[in-house]
Amino acid sequence: MSEVVIKAENISKLYQLGSIGSGSLRRDMQQWWHKHITKRDFVSDHSNEEIWALRNIDFELRQGEAFGIIGHNGAGKSTFLKILSRIIKPTEGRILGKGKISSLLEVGTGFHLELTGRENIFISGHMLGMTKKEITKKFDEIVDFSGVETFLDTPVKRYSSGMYVRLAFSVAAHLEPDILVVDEVLAVGDAEFQKKCLGKMNDATHQNGRTIIFVSHNLQAINNLCSKAMWLQKGSVMANGHVKEITTKYLQTLQIKNWSRKFTNLIEAPGNDRVRVLSVDLIPQLAHPDAIFDIRTPIVVKFSFKNLVPGTLLSTSLLLFTSAGECIFDIPSNHISIDDEIINGECHVPGNFLNDGAYYFTLYFVENKSQELFTYHECLSFEVADYRENTDWYGKWWGYVRPDFPLHIKPATAKLPITDQASNLHGN
Amino acid sequence: MAESAKWDWEITSKTSWFVNFKELYLYKDLLISQTRKDFLGAYQQTLLGPLWVLIQPVLTVGIFVVVFNNILGVKTDGYPPVLFNLIGVTLWTLFSEVFVNTTRTFTQNAAVFSKVYFPRVIVALSALLLQLVLFVIQLLLLGSVFAYYVFTDQIALHPYDLPLGLIAVFITSGIAFGAGLIFSVLTAKYRDLASLTQLIVRLLMFVTPVFFTLAIVPKKVNWIVMINPLSSMFELFRAAFTGNYHGTTSGIGFSALFMICIVTAGILLFNKMGDKLLDVL
Repeated sequence: MSEVVIKAENISKLYQLGSIGSGSLRRDMQQWWHKHITKRDFVSDHSNEEIWALRNIDFELRQGEAFGIIGHNGAGKSTFLKILSRIIKPTEGRILGKGKISSLLEVGTGFHLELTGRENIFISGHMLGMTKKEITKKFDEIVDFSGVETFLDTPVKRYSSGMYVRLAFSVAAHLEPDILVVDEVLAVGDAEFQKKCLGKMNDATHQNGRTIIFVSHNLQAINNLCSKAMWLQKGSVMANGHVKEITTKYLQTLQIKNWSRKFTNLIEAPGNDRVRVLSVDLIPQLAHPDAIFDIRTPIVVKFSFKNLVPGTLLSTSLLLFTSAGECIFDIPSNHISIDDEIINGECHVPGNFLNDGAYYFTLYFVENKSQELFTYHECLSFEVADYRENTDWYGKWWGYVRPDFPLHIKPATAKLPITDQASNLHGN
Repeated sequence: MAESAKWDWEITSKTSWFVNFKELYLYKDLLISQTRKDFLGAYQQTLLGPLWVLIQPVLTVGIFVVVFNNILGVKTDGYPPVLFNLIGVTLWTLFSEVFVNTTRTFTQNAAVFSKVYFPRVIVALSALLLQLVLFVIQLLLLGSVFAYYVFTDQIALHPYDLPLGLIAVFITSGIAFGAGLIFSVLTAKYRDLASLTQLIVRLLMFVTPVFFTLAIVPKKVNWIVMINPLSSMFELFRAAFTGNYHGTTSGIGFSALFMICIVTAGILLFNKMGDKLLDVL
């Protein structure tokens, strides 16, 4: 087992809203006067609210481990990284570490827009803690990685935003600290470059034995890059442990779950004087109750409604929309002639069909094969999580659907291999 | 396992009064690159570029000569008004620029400070370094003007007095830097003090012998000029060229002592408050 290189004990950060940050000399002096001279309680016109941005954070990491930090906005992730980066001081607790630590909280910190790419490589490098010797040694490598050789002597203000980010990240990527702290910097740049960056970070941990602390909203990247993870919520640790367990727990709270609607009172049930919907249910066919509803999960949609007018020739349609309102499919049912009775319907959507994203179902009732009786808009909504393996690509997968139709490639000279199953291209 | 002994670094809530020189040394390249960046950055896409460093004192001296010497008739101790004012203006530019630029350490770099760690004093030091570089350029102008008057026999050269100028430059920039550090912390915390620094610089010039000498100050108000630690330094700097010192020896001692105190106070306050300021920036 490799040695522990960083250890945080009981890290807490208190922010005071009001008095301290007021920025007015007069008020601070009044406060000081009342506190030390008149010994009276000074009542500020602003409330002295205190907020614990972080509370009792503990963790330790061994050399070569990659540690992901996840959480909603405002959970304290950035505050935590700032403390780790020595930008702000913790209010309580301490962090002990071994070796050089560098952080990358923003790309292009310290860049001067008027100066050339070449100048900025040095400026940014020095700011991140590299010496002139180190930068000179890696200069060609940095330029190569960024892919902006031709514009090296152009002021960076004339760069496209993509070029700017590439150059900035390249400098940072050639830092060689023992512990690297990275904020969500991969959200910028094009897909290809993101892949390159993640690859670089992957190499850093797996080949060079560096320890990485990584904050991202991209759970795929966290899953693939990190071995351990911590989930922060409102400044406290919700869970800390193996990355898959943590991201799974986190996802479960994140997913929109509007999987079931039941109506017992016929008057309040959605519908009109022709049909009334009694229930709609979405049942993901999960392997076990705690599993994540992801792209591999088959779905069963069940619904029941009451037909109110006897002798209706009725059919239903099940429509699936993306959250943006684009229709994925519209599946019509068979037509049946029915009395005033309760009707059940069921539709099976196989796994490995939908892409990751948010979707909703709409139920549509038709009389005589063409006349609309009632539309139950957005009766069920749900979210499909991403799942992938055997890939280094962590960007958004394209397309509305994501079927795993077999796709084979082979050298032109070889015979077609006989396979009985779909390839594991996407992994399933 | 002996836990505590094997760690390389520790982050705690404690802040230090003192400078970590070992760490500062590791960032020496940053100091140079920041100075270079500020120098190059200031003159990109400009018409006259670094020539501005010289235009500023030339115009100031022109106005001073017209207003103070020609209109108000301020005595220049028998020296050519252009040279007399240029000496004062050159040192005053150093003082005011070092002071003003150092006070901006936190307010102008808040964005960078909140994203990356390095010893914050580097930024203040690079401001000082840059102004010293610009001062050297202005000194070349002063040197040429001085040489012109020496060669045309309008004034006598006192070669042994010239090194006195270095003492004046050292102490003046020290006072400016120390005061700048203190005000950088104060203006970061209390934004309303930013306008005060402007006022200080503007008013201080009138109680500092920039365009007059101590010789013409009436006894009654002499104390106002003498409690100003810059007074002796401006007299000393002028004496380096003219060989004619109007101050006192104790005045130089006072200035030196003042500089040591304010630089020490500035550095201690800067270090102690630097980390806390990031919470309020």
